[in-house]
Formats: sequence, C-alpha cells, structure tokens
Amino acid sequence: MIGILLAKDLRRARRNPLPWMINLLVPLVMTALIGMVFGGHADSGSLGRIHFAVVDEDQSFLSKFLRGMGGQEQGSKYLDPVFMSRAEALREINANHLSAVLIIPTNFTSHYLQASAPVSLELIKNPAESIHPAVLEELLGALVTGLNGISRNFNSEFPVWQAALTNEVDYDQLATLVKHTGEKLKAAKTYLNPPLVVYETEAAATNQVAAGSTGTGTNSMAGIFGYLLVGLAAMFLLFIAGNAMADLHRELSLRTFPRYQTLQTATLPFLLAKIIYVMVVVLVCAAIMLGGGGLVFQIHWEHPLALMALTMGYAGFIATWFAVLVALLPDERRAAVLTNLSGMGLGLLGGCAFPPQQLPGFIRHYVMPWLPSHWFAETARNLQGGETTLAWTGVVLQLAAVSVGLAGVAIWLFRRRFNSGLRA
Amino acid sequence: MSLLKVDRLSKSFGASRAVDGVSLEVQPGEIYGLLGPNGAGKTTSISMISGLLQPDAGEVLVAGHSFAADPQKAKRIMGVVPQELAIYEELSGRENLEFWGRIAGLSRNDARERTRELLAALTLTDRGNDPVKTYSGGMKRRINLGCALLHRPQLILLDEPTVGIDPQARQNILEFIGQLRATGTGILYTTHYLEEAENLCQRIGIIDHGRLLAEGTLPELQERLGGDRVFVMEANFENTAPDAWPGFRERFRIIQKSDRQLVVSAIGTRDPSDCLRELLSLPVRVENVTLKRPSLNDVFLQLTGRELRE
Repeated sequence: MIGILLAKDLRRARRNPLPWMINLLVPLVMTALIGMVFGGHADSGSLGRIHFAVVDEDQSFLSKFLRGMGGQEQGSKYLDPVFMSRAEALREINANHLSAVLIIPTNFTSHYLQASAPVSLELIKNPAESIHPAVLEELLGALVTGLNGISRNFNSEFPVWQAALTNEVDYDQLATLVKHTGEKLKAAKTYLNPPLVVYETEAAATNQVAAGSTGTGTNSMAGIFGYLLVGLAAMFLLFIAGNAMADLHRELSLRTFPRYQTLQTATLPFLLAKIIYVMVVVLVCAAIMLGGGGLVFQIHWEHPLALMALTMGYAGFIATWFAVLVALLPDERRAAVLTNLSGMGLGLLGGCAFPPQQLPGFIRHYVMPWLPSHWFAETARNLQGGETTLAWTGVVLQLAAVSVGLAGVAIWLFRRRFNSGLRA
Repeated sequence: MSLLKVDRLSKSFGASRAVDGVSLEVQPGEIYGLLGPNGAGKTTSISMISGLLQPDAGEVLVAGHSFAADPQKAKRIMGVVPQELAIYEELSGRENLEFWGRIAGLSRNDARERTRELLAALTLTDRGNDPVKTYSGGMKRRINLGCALLHRPQLILLDEPTVGIDPQARQNILEFIGQLRATGTGILYTTHYLEEAENLCQRIGIIDHGRLLAEGTLPELQERLGGDRVFVMEANFENTAPDAWPGFRERFRIIQKSDRQLVVSAIGTRDPSDCLRELLSLPVRVENVTLKRPSLNDVFLQLTGRELRE
C-alpha cells in the first residue's frame, strides 16, 4: 500500500516538477552563495590566500620588518601581500583586484619608538568582499596589540634601540642592549609561558571539545565550513521539509485523503507514505547541500556514514514534525505561517544558524537541549570536529524515537479531525 | 435484505444539529434520492454512512452488517463519489483510475483491466492517457465517478455528482448511473436538483435542517398534496388572510402564499372543476388560476414553507 501511495506521489512530482525543482534549487543556490561569499574554490579547501597591498610610506627598518612578516613561511600560506604606492593600491582596490590595502604612514616608526605622538596603521577594506578584509582586520588587531605590549614593556629602551639601528651601529652598545633586553624577557618568561593566571570562556571550552582531542590534522578553515554548512543545512532542510509537506495540505483540500479513507480504514499507510516522500525530498536536498558543499569547499567529511544516519534521523524528525503541524492546522494558508515560524524557531533556537554559544544562557540551558535540530547539528559538528565516540548512534535513536512519537501524534490528530468533520 | 439501512443517524457540530435522526433504506437495484437544499445535511449524512464522520447516535448497516463492527468489510461493498473532484489533476485519467483501484484492493492486472472497462463505459478511452487537468468539467466528473467503481461496489453513495457541469455532460452521467442501477447496484444519490430526483430516483427522501421530512416514491409524495390537483391563483393577496375565509381551511391546503400568488392543493377527492369553482367564489378578485400536477418543489414547499431553489 505504501509503495502504491509513494509511487503516486513521485509520479505527481514528475508531472509537476516546479515545486520539486524549487526544493532542489534552494540548496543549490545556497551552496553556490556560500561558495561565492567564502571563496571556497581555493586548492587548500580553505579561505584562500588573502591578496592585499602594503603601502609603505615610512620606509623604515620597522616598516620593512612588518612588510617582511607577510612573506614568512607561515604567513605566506594565508597572506599574499603586494607592495605598491598609495595611488596604485587605491586604483587596484577600486578595480576589485585587492581585498584590502594596508598603509604604513610616514614617521610611523619614529613616532612609535619615541612615543611622541599616537601612531596608527591605516586599513582600507574592499567593500565588495566580506570575509578576507575581516580576517585581515583581525590580524591587524593582533599586530597592534603586540606592538602596544612591546611599547609598554620596552618603552624605556626604544631610544637606544632606535639609535642603535638607525645610526652607525656601536656593537658594544648593541650587545649591552641585547643582554639587557634578554634579561627582561627572561624575567617575564615565567609570567608569559605558561601564564600564572588564565581565564577560559565556555565557548572556547566547547570549541576545544568540538575540535577533539585526537588532533586529526583537518584543515581548520575546512572545519569552519563544515561547521557552518552543517548548521545551515539543518536550518534549510526544515524549510524544504515544510514546503514538501504542504502536499499533505493539498491532499486534504483536493479531498483525496478523505477519499482514501472511504476505501481504507487505516490512516497510517497514507500518512507514512507522505512522510517517506518528504524524507526522500529532504535527503536528496541534504545530499546536494552536504555533498555538493563538501565538493565546493573540499570538506572531507570525517564520518560520512554516521552523518548519513544522522541526516536520515533528522529527515524523519522534520517530516513527522510538519505532518503534526498539518494535522493541527489543515488550512494551508494559516498553516504556512506556523510552518515558517516553527522552521525558524527550530533552526535558530537549535543553534543551527550560528554557533550555539552566541545564544542567551536561558535558551542554551533550558531550550536547546530539547530541540532535535540541535541534537542533529551539534552531533554532526562534533563528528566533523573529530569526535570518535559512538554518541551519534544514541542521537540517531533519539531522532528515530521522536519521529515515531510524532507520527503517532499526527495519526491520532488526523483521526480526531476526520471524526469531527475535517474540512481543509 | 437492504443493501443499506440507516437508523436514526444524528450528528451535531457544537450547538448546530447537522443531522437529526435520519433513517432510510436502499434496496439492490434502487436509486434512493436524498433531496434537499444546500446545508440540509445531505453531505454530512453521506460522510457518516461512508465512515468519514463519526455519528453522535444511530447505526449504519451495510448488507445486513453493522458498519461500526467491520468498517473495512463495509468499505469493500461501498463506492463513494464525493461532491468535490477528489482526483489528481497531474495524473492521467487512466492513472487515477488505476491508483484508486489499487487502493481499493485490486491487483495491478485487475486494476488495469477494470480501468480499461471503465474508460470505455465512461466514453473516455481516447483521452485516458491525457492529464486530468486538460479535461473538461464533465470529463473530470466522469473520472471522479469512475474512481469509486473500480472494485465493483454493490452500493454506491453519490454526493451531488452533477454539480457545476453542462446539461449534456449531466445527461451522460445520469445515463451511466441508470446503467449501474440496471446491474443491481443500490445507489444513494444526494441532489438539490428536483428534475434529477424526479426522473432518476425510485424513492426520494426530502431532507431539510438535518431532518428527513418525508420519503416515498414520487406518486406517494405527490399524494401528500392531494394527488394531481395543485392550483396556482394570481391576485392581490396583500393584507388578506385566506385561513380566515369561511370553509377554506377545510377544503384547501396552502402550499405557498405571496402578495401576488397563492398556491393551494385540494383536500379530499373532488372534481377539479368543483375546486376551481370554489376558488373563484373566494372573497378576492382572482386574475388567473392555473391547475397543475404537484412537483417535488410543491411537496418541499408544503413541508418546509420555502422553495428548494431559495
């Protein structure tokens, strides 16, 4: 019976491909958009190297040192600096050839070392890009913090250093200076490594768990995409399932579901076939999002089978959830509002759209743990973070149990509605 | 034994009593017409008989067996044609018929064979492979009807199957239903078209506000109004009270009264010319009198005080 009903739905979907195509188009567009925003075409599967210009108007030893940092082995993996004049750099950024322009202004070094005036580095970000300029800004922030730290601790020795480096070098003086600075660093070492007092944020602690203790060596940027993609997929699959389950509304308004009931007593096969149909739609879309996304970002899914099982469990949950909503509100137009709200609620409160640590404590502690969307997203993220335990099997069973429970509720609600004269 | 026996069926929706103690029987080879205006309780009655709606009270027996005791068995005997087009417009007529045949329990081959027969019987063989959405209203109605017949039901419940289609398509469907009756199938047919009930049904039940007001064959129902004597008088009846005219109430029954028209039937067996003479002698200036056979509408008027078409 379920096969007959499912074949009918698939045949209808083939004859009227527009809703089906829209369902497939959503994940394709979403994956492509994320790919465009993040520039996920890099060979490393990461952000790609950040192409930016350095305008050195200072031309001092310090500015040369800063310029050189970008070309170091570690830095060159992520940074691709080019050196040019201000006018040329502005022309290039206007032509969208650069992510940002870093300007080291005239007298930067002398003002810094003499502490005679506040100094600043200038960063011009390309407004047409979002991620690369933001990453560069963060890096610059770290550099400024470092320069401030050095300035506060070694300020008294700056004039001597400046003299030693800019004038004719007196090697005796330089040796004394290095020795003195070395003693200071030695004294600070016990405080700096390891620090005597540390603090730890919950977010950091959780991320550490997510990163796993095994140290899989996964590319960290690919990890970020995996983390983002799983959450976004969890969120979008909710909307896709809501759209697909709207077909049950149409079965009610077309009176084909009641007609089925004039021939068969059991409601279960009809509902089960519709749930399976929605699961098929969701799984195809999930394959496009996670599989296609994986290809675009070159994400290596650490546990594909576990992820597949989790996705199936999640598809079961969202299909049965929306079946319950149809039973609660058989009118399609009224139900559309509830469907969208519940999709957004499950996605946002479940921590799918952004890291769960960003949510208020109340939601994190009292709401999120109860949401199957959170179970799916968090477990999938943990798996991708390198978790090797079989905790995911428990989550799959949990999702399956919730799905069975919700299917039961939907059947009970439909029976009640039919008995009391359901009109869609 | 009756194919269908409905005993004091009742259903309320909140304070509104949709069906109030309806009882009826359908015999094999009989078309029983349930006639009533929109909202009279026809669809609610069919929904309860077909098991779509739980009755508050009453019992439904199908081929002598309680529906409630074995609903699946009863559903095998019944074919239900809903008022709305409950078919899939994306699928072809053939696919719709085959699908509903499979749902009714036929094997793939049986469903295919029966579909072929029904497409021929419904004169839709040529268009059988086209999507239903390309069909005319009448063709859709025929497919909607055919979808209930795949499993050769002994009892068919037809809920206003000719609503919204042109006269020719309606005639095709009515002829097809007549052929079904000829094979011994019992049919419960709801309608608000008087002509359909008069021409198609062997027995008619008149339903209004959820209550079955009268039932019987067409002559039996006409007899309630005095056989074949209904008089339509045209005059100025404004500010008149016919009941107050001497001897009027004993000789005539008022079916309908308006400012310009009075419809009455004669009580007892008198010659129509005597009745006409008595009417012309009433204390009102009669402009015209017409003698006609009582229609179902007159019966309905007499029972409810309003026309079926209102």
